[in-house]
Amino acid sequence: MTTPSATIQPPPLLAEIIESQRQRRRWFRGQFALVWVALVGALLAALWATDNIDTEWMVTWAPFIVGGAGTTILVCVISIVLATLLAIFGAIARMSSNAILFAISSLYVSLVRGTPLLVQIYFIFFALPQMGIRLDAVPAGILALSFNYGAYMTEIFRAGIQAVPGGQREAAQALGMPEALVMRRVVLPQAVRIVIPAIGNDFIAMIKDSALISTIAVQELLWRAQRAGTRDFKTLQALLIAAAVYWLLTIIFSYFQDRLEQRMARGDR
Amino acid sequence: MFNMRRLALLPAAALILAACQSGSGESPDASASADASANPTESGHGMADVPNVVCVGEATTYLDWLAGDLAISEADPIEEPSDAGNPDDLLALIKERGEIRVSTDPNYAPQSFVEPDGSFVGFDIDVATEIAERLGVDVKFETPDWDAITAGNWSERWDISVGSMTITEDRKEILSFTQPYYYTPAQLAASTASGVTGVEDLPFELPGGAEATTLPTDANCAEAIRAGREEFALWISSSTTVQGAIDEGVPIIAVGDPVFAEPLSVAIDKSGPPHDELLYEINNIIGEMHDDGTLTELSNEWYGLDLTEGTASSE
Repeated sequence: MTTPSATIQPPPLLAEIIESQRQRRRWFRGQFALVWVALVGALLAALWATDNIDTEWMVTWAPFIVGGAGTTILVCVISIVLATLLAIFGAIARMSSNAILFAISSLYVSLVRGTPLLVQIYFIFFALPQMGIRLDAVPAGILALSFNYGAYMTEIFRAGIQAVPGGQREAAQALGMPEALVMRRVVLPQAVRIVIPAIGNDFIAMIKDSALISTIAVQELLWRAQRAGTRDFKTLQALLIAAAVYWLLTIIFSYFQDRLEQRMARGDR
Repeated sequence: MFNMRRLALLPAAALILAACQSGSGESPDASASADASANPTESGHGMADVPNVVCVGEATTYLDWLAGDLAISEADPIEEPSDAGNPDDLLALIKERGEIRVSTDPNYAPQSFVEPDGSFVGFDIDVATEIAERLGVDVKFETPDWDAITAGNWSERWDISVGSMTITEDRKEILSFTQPYYYTPAQLAASTASGVTGVEDLPFELPGGAEATTLPTDANCAEAIRAGREEFALWISSSTTVQGAIDEGVPIIAVGDPVFAEPLSVAIDKSGPPHDELLYEINNIIGEMHDDGTLTELSNEWYGLDLTEGTASSE
């Protein structure tokens, strides 16, 4: 009875196990989706029950509010790039044997991590002009976010650089590479791979923190939501739209971050 | 096993939450019943049991009024500058640029607010546009927060404020004001749930007898009341904003007559470039707009009534 094709099929017992595992996974996913739908549905129902939700208003204003997401993303992308550059220099200085560099970068990290981001934003927008440095709202917001995140990422990069096995550096030095080249060609590329998941994490956190720059009139998501909401006494609805967009953005970027992380992990052999 | 233990935490958390809820929920009831038992002998007008707190939307004039030290002022007389044609004057800079930058916080309907397409509209926007037109330049709107505008030190981010700003003694130290382009009455409002129908229902004197709580903008006060926050039974704002909230279905009523009238003017930062000529020019333009009926027309359009005639400010 046995045909040649049957021979490459797994034995019945194994097939059963695989099938039951598959079923269990499907069941798990089904439950997961069900719980999400139920909870989000309950949340929305509770909001609807307040009798304060004007869907027509939300439809009218959604395009205006959602349009702020472009500014949010633009500001965050530029800021994360600048923050990464700041962090690389910060980390190198923080591990330097040069006392001055070490002192500067330590002060930077301590100062930024020791003060609220909102205070830093106000300072850059309101106080700097009195010292003769006047930045428009968007550049001021970008500066504040990159300055702030640069400090946190300095520590990430320091950890990343220290995580590169010492043998790598020694081997490069043994080949006669100068210190700077060792850092640039051997250590940093490996460190970057280690810290990329953390950068992705920070980017997602920054998307939410960028709401703070609405206070200096950067017309991003929250700014638009607040202006639209106060106009018609509909702040709740406006914030609902903004919250949904922030959530969606973090879900999207988290997905890409997961993919990136898996890809990076593939290199570890 | 591990999962089970975590699950066991849930009911515990729920219990704690419930305990907090009932704890905070009980105190107002308790105080209400205590007041009720103390009050039954009182006759005539039932004093409403409202907290002596008035909600204010980031408007310092209302805060000053509540504290009892509002000093509404008049614009200083503006004389024709002697050195006309000064190339350093803000007027010359604006003409050269071909554009006047006007600050407006689009957070205050119907003065200044956003449309779904992102454009700004409102009474102040129209007045600013008209001023720019009569100056022969384009208008560009900057949108800082209101308190950044009233604080002065604009760092030349914008040239003038056309933002329904009240002239006060304090502000005159840092800003130059033109003659008023209109006047809004300040209006006290109360939530309908509070039972307050007139000033005589208030168990305290105003100004002086109540504290202020500030929220980011006027509209937030109305929304806090609509959301059922009992600590915000009272609200003070411009009569036009109060009416706007009532029209939107916010459960409030206007309490008593307007408490004071605010003269509202165009302002220029004193810490900026010299601006004698600009101030003189804009002051003249506002005079013309009063005379030819432009301001009356705009006021009727946005507020449904003529607010350009200064009712003598009561204070």
